[in-house]
Amino acid sequence: MFGRIGRWFNDRSKLSDLWQSQMVEYKVPKNLTFPYAFGVMALIAFLIQVISGIFLTMYYEPNIHRAFDSVNYTIMKEVPFMWLLRQVHAAGANFFLAVVYLHIFTGIYYNAYKKPRELTWIVGFFIYFVLLMTALSGYLLPWGQLSYWGMVVTTEIPTSIDSAPIIGKLKIGETISIWMKGGYELGQITLGRFYGLHIWLLPLILLSLVGFHFYLVRAHGITSPDGREIDKKKEGVPFHPYITLKEGAYLMGYLAVFFFFVFFYMKHFLPADNYDPADPFKTPAHIAPEWYLLAFYTMFRSIPDKFLGFVVFNLALLLLLILPFLDFSPLRSARNRPLFFIMFIVLVISSMALTILGTMPPTPTNALLGLIFTLGFLSFFLALPIISLIEWGWYKAKGGDRQ
Amino acid sequence: MIRAILLTVLVVVFFYIVWINNIFAPHAEYEIPEEHEKIIMDVKYAKEGRELFIQNCAACHSVRYDSLYPSSIQANPILQSLQEKYGKVLPNDIYQAVFANDLNTLKESFGKVPPDLSTSYLVKGPGYLYNFILKPQEILPGTTMPPVMTGRPEETAKIVAYLKSVAEPPPEEKSKRKVMGVVTIGYFIVMGVLIWLWRDRILKRIGLH
Repeated sequence: MFGRIGRWFNDRSKLSDLWQSQMVEYKVPKNLTFPYAFGVMALIAFLIQVISGIFLTMYYEPNIHRAFDSVNYTIMKEVPFMWLLRQVHAAGANFFLAVVYLHIFTGIYYNAYKKPRELTWIVGFFIYFVLLMTALSGYLLPWGQLSYWGMVVTTEIPTSIDSAPIIGKLKIGETISIWMKGGYELGQITLGRFYGLHIWLLPLILLSLVGFHFYLVRAHGITSPDGREIDKKKEGVPFHPYITLKEGAYLMGYLAVFFFFVFFYMKHFLPADNYDPADPFKTPAHIAPEWYLLAFYTMFRSIPDKFLGFVVFNLALLLLLILPFLDFSPLRSARNRPLFFIMFIVLVISSMALTILGTMPPTPTNALLGLIFTLGFLSFFLALPIISLIEWGWYKAKGGDRQ
Repeated sequence: MIRAILLTVLVVVFFYIVWINNIFAPHAEYEIPEEHEKIIMDVKYAKEGRELFIQNCAACHSVRYDSLYPSSIQANPILQSLQEKYGKVLPNDIYQAVFANDLNTLKESFGKVPPDLSTSYLVKGPGYLYNFILKPQEILPGTTMPPVMTGRPEETAKIVAYLKSVAEPPPEEKSKRKVMGVVTIGYFIVMGVLIWLWRDRILKRIGLH
């Protein structure tokens, strides 16, 4: 009976052909390493956010008088198992961003952004950017002290344009700031629009971008860790079952770690200060954004001139976007590129140090360290064209371009 | 291999610092005598703590998530009819609008409405609460909170135990959650191992091992 229904359905939908062409006949290099699994982990993290988020919207009230109670009483105490969904959603957001960061660094390490995959990288960058916006808007919703004051600080960042020499007179920054908040101060209008953005617009944009990213990955195939493009007709292993089961096993490990945090260690993901209802008259002692924004925040904070700080952290984002065009070396993968590997380590250590510096109080020493690591971060991108030129030299010396 | 180890160590250390124990960020520590810490951590003192709270703190403070309101509001007959309509825990806007007079009286005497203490345990932690309730001026100079509990450390500990019981899930719920967590994590680990073994068998059969 079920077999017949299944066959009827399959004859008309041709799903088994799709499976055959996209999963079995789709060949990938045999030597994919563990970091290649971050992509599928990010996909699962996204699904977890969507599912838990849908349930949270059933009880959350986007109203400045009731938002805090609807989160901390209705969801956390009153409705059975909603505490679990909230903890999954809160930890899930952090894990999603952590996995996306690891995925980005994996892409840089294996040079997965090189021709013909530039567009995959660019779409991935926009996924990352929209994801940051989603996380930012979602962080306001519990309407605690950290939500409120974190958003006050964030909406003040554009006003640093106004301290620029000439364009500052136009007050563009203030206009953007008011436009973000929906008024001169953070209130009901801000909460309403961030709620709408967080549950509808941004996730839908994210979904379509992720779909496009996937299509591009399939269209060009996966890079190999040693930087050699495989000949799909002669080599490579079938994606299913070789990779699906391998990454499936890694995924189970990821979920085990994730649920360890959900059940036993929510201290960081539901920070203590956010259990205090938002109070516009009481500024908390230490305001800093969440960890995933701290690297950019430290760049902004360490540079003495406000406008310059704004320019530099936007430059950092821009450099990340145009990374495929900065690196035009014929060699691929950090495994074959010692100079690139050294600069990659500089990049990793600088971004980690910038993030950790963001959690520390803004003393002059920390500002100096922040400045040094900002230079370290930028030096990776600025060194890429030089490394590429040197590597072109090596490549030609070996007679590479005649082949 | 060395590269993989180096990068793995960097990532693990980074997330340990950022997520679990940030050794660089400043944090204040508050001492509690051991016998009083035992009282705070013991749920059975919560009931006694609630009585002490009503006697000593409820003149000004509310614990809305436990439907405990300042005494002047608690004595108001409107409260009961509102609770019949909206449930034991009144919506915040309705609470503030209906009892604006009582709240304003409190505001006049203390400079601000004394905060609701439903989630205070989660915000401040036991150390701060215990020391602050015992000697408010020492911990937060300039506060308008009167030293009601000074010289009564044991009773203070019981009040903190009560605030803890309001903020946290009840003990039977807590142990249920612990079991749920262990089972979930165990399930994923077992599934991971099974998938890995199954993959080995399949790959051997199709000759890709």
